[in-house]
Amino acid sequence: MGLVRREQQPAEAKAAPSVETLLRQLDDPDPDCRREAALGLDGVAEAVPHLLARVGPETASTVRDALLTTLAAHDTTEVAEALAIHLASDEADLRTSVAEALSTMPGSVPAIIPRLIDDPDHDVRVMTAMVLADLAHPGSLTWLADMIRQDPHPNVVTAAVDALLPSLGPEHTELLRDAVRRFPDDPFLRFTVEAAVG
Amino acid sequence: MTSSTTAGLSAVDFEKFREFFYKRTGIQFTESKRYFVDKRIETCIKQAGFPGFNAWFSALRLSDRSGLLQDLINQLTVNETYFLREDYQFDSLLKTVLPDVLAARGGAGRMTGPVKILSLPCSTGEEPYSIALRLLEEWDQIDHVDVEIHGADIDSAVLDKAAHASYGERSLQRVPMSWRAKYFAPVGAGRYQLDAGIRGAVTLHQINVCDTTSMRAFRDFDVIFCRNVLIYFDELSSRRAAENLYGAMRPGGYLFLGHSESMSRISPIFTPSRLPEGIVYQRPSGGPR
Repeated sequence: MGLVRREQQPAEAKAAPSVETLLRQLDDPDPDCRREAALGLDGVAEAVPHLLARVGPETASTVRDALLTTLAAHDTTEVAEALAIHLASDEADLRTSVAEALSTMPGSVPAIIPRLIDDPDHDVRVMTAMVLADLAHPGSLTWLADMIRQDPHPNVVTAAVDALLPSLGPEHTELLRDAVRRFPDDPFLRFTVEAAVG
Repeated sequence: MTSSTTAGLSAVDFEKFREFFYKRTGIQFTESKRYFVDKRIETCIKQAGFPGFNAWFSALRLSDRSGLLQDLINQLTVNETYFLREDYQFDSLLKTVLPDVLAARGGAGRMTGPVKILSLPCSTGEEPYSIALRLLEEWDQIDHVDVEIHGADIDSAVLDKAAHASYGERSLQRVPMSWRAKYFAPVGAGRYQLDAGIRGAVTLHQINVCDTTSMRAFRDFDVIFCRNVLIYFDELSSRRAAENLYGAMRPGGYLFLGHSESMSRISPIFTPSRLPEGIVYQRPSGGPR
């Protein structure tokens, strides 16, 4: 007993399974196997449609997170568009996971932000504010300010205020107070703004 | 600045280099790191004998001189550390985490296989050797349980140093004198080498935590220390690293991050646990969520 050295080196990285095998394993009944397959398909362009097709139906969140990690590395408008569909999902975990993935795609997501900001579903606009909260793009703060200034739904405005808070500057004070004046009957928005700017 | 001398990199060169290095390692350098990056690239160019950036960068991308990339990685990864750094986490390991690991695995004497601990990145070895010293000196179960300690790093040069395990005063400043007398021998020039028994008990590996294929070699770790490295990655690389760490752990296993790092900003796959000594993250022990 005590400190022991492993008798042999851990297996050198096992040979990676073929793409065909990994694609097959995306449908394996074992979630760990599906998760490993999703991660193993990193950088495989031909796998993208297969991965996208499994984001919605996948029931294990660990597998879904792995699917999204691999997909987010394909920072293209096609992937961003396909993922953004799930921002309207009734499933909160799926919406949130997709928003987190989209926020790591600064190359493609900015192109779809204007459409998302104008989406008729206010829940999609709330999720868009979440995406913008972490999207590393010089336009993020401007888009959030536009949402605070113009969006007709108080929940969207509150989400945008929340997303803006970590970057809040003196130049935003009047913007936030105007938002409270636009929705005088929304106590949560009032509370959020008062906590931020007094 | 010109694009092809060693006097510095042009903005275009820096961008080309930054994209290349990110794709190969997952490490993202922002503009604020320009000075740091420029100096180290300059060193690589000189050491490899190239006339300037363009020739060196071309060889880096296109030639079969794999040593060029490894030299670059070695230059650009930060390796400064010391023994017993942030040792409140080692307190947590001894007081809370290891007892829980033993209980979850059926208790000392009834466990199948050793307790496995991984230090990643291990740099020049101070962290995995600190864990070994704390276990040997302070854990009352060490005579009843087998413990495997592994260290891993992307940088081959620091792994060579870790294997040699010879340290100066700065590295050893927090090591009690009694431990120093017991486990270290002076080797001249103010340096001390760690006891061969402990050196031999820690297995070292070269690995990139963002590389899913090579990380598959790591499985069933009960505890992983991955401190002060995820802060160097962008969001996407951090997520992949987190997924790879998850895959390397046993269900219920514990993950320690650096004190300024938070997994909640990276990935939801781990469960945070508030221990008396601070936050630690666990791979959920049940089935997949």
